[in-house]
Amino acid sequence: MDSTVEQISDALKSVFGKLEEKFGARLLGSSVFRGELTFLVAPEDLVEVATYCKAPEGLGFDRLEFLTGNHYPERIEQPFEVAVQLTSMATNDRLRLKVPLKEGQKMPTLSSLWPAANWCERETWEMYGIEFEGHPNLIRLLTDADFEGHPLRKDFPVRGLVGGRIRTDLKGKI
Amino acid sequence: MAGHESHPTAPPKPRATPEEMRERKRLSRQRVSDDSEFITVSMGPQHPSTHGVYQAVVDLDGEIVVNTRPNIGNLHRGVEKLAEVKSYHRFLPLTDRLDYISSFAMNHAYAEAVEKLMDIEVPRRARYIRTIGDELCRLSNHLLWLGVHVMDFGAQTFFLICFRDREYVMDLWEMLCGARLTHSYARIGGVAADLPDGWVEKCRAAMEFMPRRLAEYQRLVEKNRIFLKRTVGIGIFTREDCVAWRVTGPSLRATGMERDLRKTEPYAAYDEVDFDVAVEYDADVYSRYLVRMKEMYESCRIILQCLDQLPEGDYINQDAPSQTFPRKKQVMRDSAAMVQDFMQTFRGPKVPKGEVYKAIEVPKGEMGVYIVSDGSSIPQRLHLVTPTFYHCQATPALFEGEMISDVVGIFGSVDIVLGDSDR
Repeated sequence: MDSTVEQISDALKSVFGKLEEKFGARLLGSSVFRGELTFLVAPEDLVEVATYCKAPEGLGFDRLEFLTGNHYPERIEQPFEVAVQLTSMATNDRLRLKVPLKEGQKMPTLSSLWPAANWCERETWEMYGIEFEGHPNLIRLLTDADFEGHPLRKDFPVRGLVGGRIRTDLKGKI
Repeated sequence: MAGHESHPTAPPKPRATPEEMRERKRLSRQRVSDDSEFITVSMGPQHPSTHGVYQAVVDLDGEIVVNTRPNIGNLHRGVEKLAEVKSYHRFLPLTDRLDYISSFAMNHAYAEAVEKLMDIEVPRRARYIRTIGDELCRLSNHLLWLGVHVMDFGAQTFFLICFRDREYVMDLWEMLCGARLTHSYARIGGVAADLPDGWVEKCRAAMEFMPRRLAEYQRLVEKNRIFLKRTVGIGIFTREDCVAWRVTGPSLRATGMERDLRKTEPYAAYDEVDFDVAVEYDADVYSRYLVRMKEMYESCRIILQCLDQLPEGDYINQDAPSQTFPRKKQVMRDSAAMVQDFMQTFRGPKVPKGEVYKAIEVPKGEMGVYIVSDGSSIPQRLHLVTPTFYHCQATPALFEGEMISDVVGIFGSVDIVLGDSDR
């Protein structure tokens, strides 16, 4: 780890140092690639870490850039992952937090910290089936209300489950 | 750039401090009374002024919007799923279909992200061509926006006037890549082809002519009493709201924040040209109009500088044969180039394992691409962070406490393309 930390900017080095100092062993790991800093955080620690990242007296990452999921079927233990990208409006530094999740494991919502996380979490839920605890309105966003399945999971076929034919079974229902 | 302040009918525009803006927004929200019955009205998805298939279900207290439930997704095409079965080269044409008004900027955002992942250089000439392309997109996007936005307030003719001049930009695109709407002109490591003969002169003529037309628009719009009455002080969206809802681009700059990724993290050739970031301070619909108007002048300035400084050289990187396409002319003459072309088309590029996020300033805001690579030529995960998605999400906060008749104008002022939000 220490050899790759050399590649990031001084500002991110201080962010790295502060996070390591504050949370230490509770962080599951960190990585650096192309000058971007990523931390692995356990779901139960996420709200605390994110609050510290957002607070002006903490790290000052005041804007949520995006929140999205990912599916690694080859990882047996924790096949899901949620990535949260933060930006500091003052310094334009970026930080990414990643949360590994088990199948069916719930994740705390960040929509009370950043209102912009609301739709991101709805999208992540509908695409991956990752539930967000405490979310005010966890319903489908991009797909139809009667859509079944979570399309961005790797085991969901690209052609879809009902594509290629006209649905006649909905006659009279809508 | 004259004429922003000195027209007779415009009301005085003091520079509002953030505290004043917050106070104004608070007063505007206070108009909502709690103890009355609401009327629920559905606007869209077929409403003529909702700029695409966007539905807003609004609760009204008299004429004042209390609550908005936005509904998107009617244009969802599963682009992120499709990205997971296509090689990096083959996905590029799909990025056109995100924000189809400024497709080259979308190509560019994607190409920049993939180049960051692969860590390859873009030749200087290609960077200049990309800068010109980005600014042409900004110009055509803002012209279309301006026409439609003014039409929202009832001026039908103005729409056609804007489209007439947008045609100059469209002609340039047609000459450059053969397409008017979906350009697919960027490539990983450069652009698809060099500038055709005579293009530079034609572009220069159009860009020298355009500011005169923009001044004409300003005279038409900024002296129009109806436009001013319906835009000044309407739809205030403060800096804190913008940051909280990730509203970017001209709407953010209309709150007095000088944030433009072209300046803060320069990409392409933006560090080699001289331009100003357009900033306004009142955070209302009129300020957003002014920001875009200034940006159009700046775009002309940037393009003219790029044309003057346009360097010689390659238009696509030739030093990374396992990651980029060869020059098209070589493919028919040189067997190595032919093999390279074949391998890139059918196998795809060689990509290291890792994940990157790269954002650039597209006409509507900050467009980011997040790529997770597992080392194969197909992305493991590709997430498109599009500005309109977040702008649509912010609409409840944007409409709250405003009049129902202003909703369409406010919605238009943040510049929405639903292809961008639904992906």
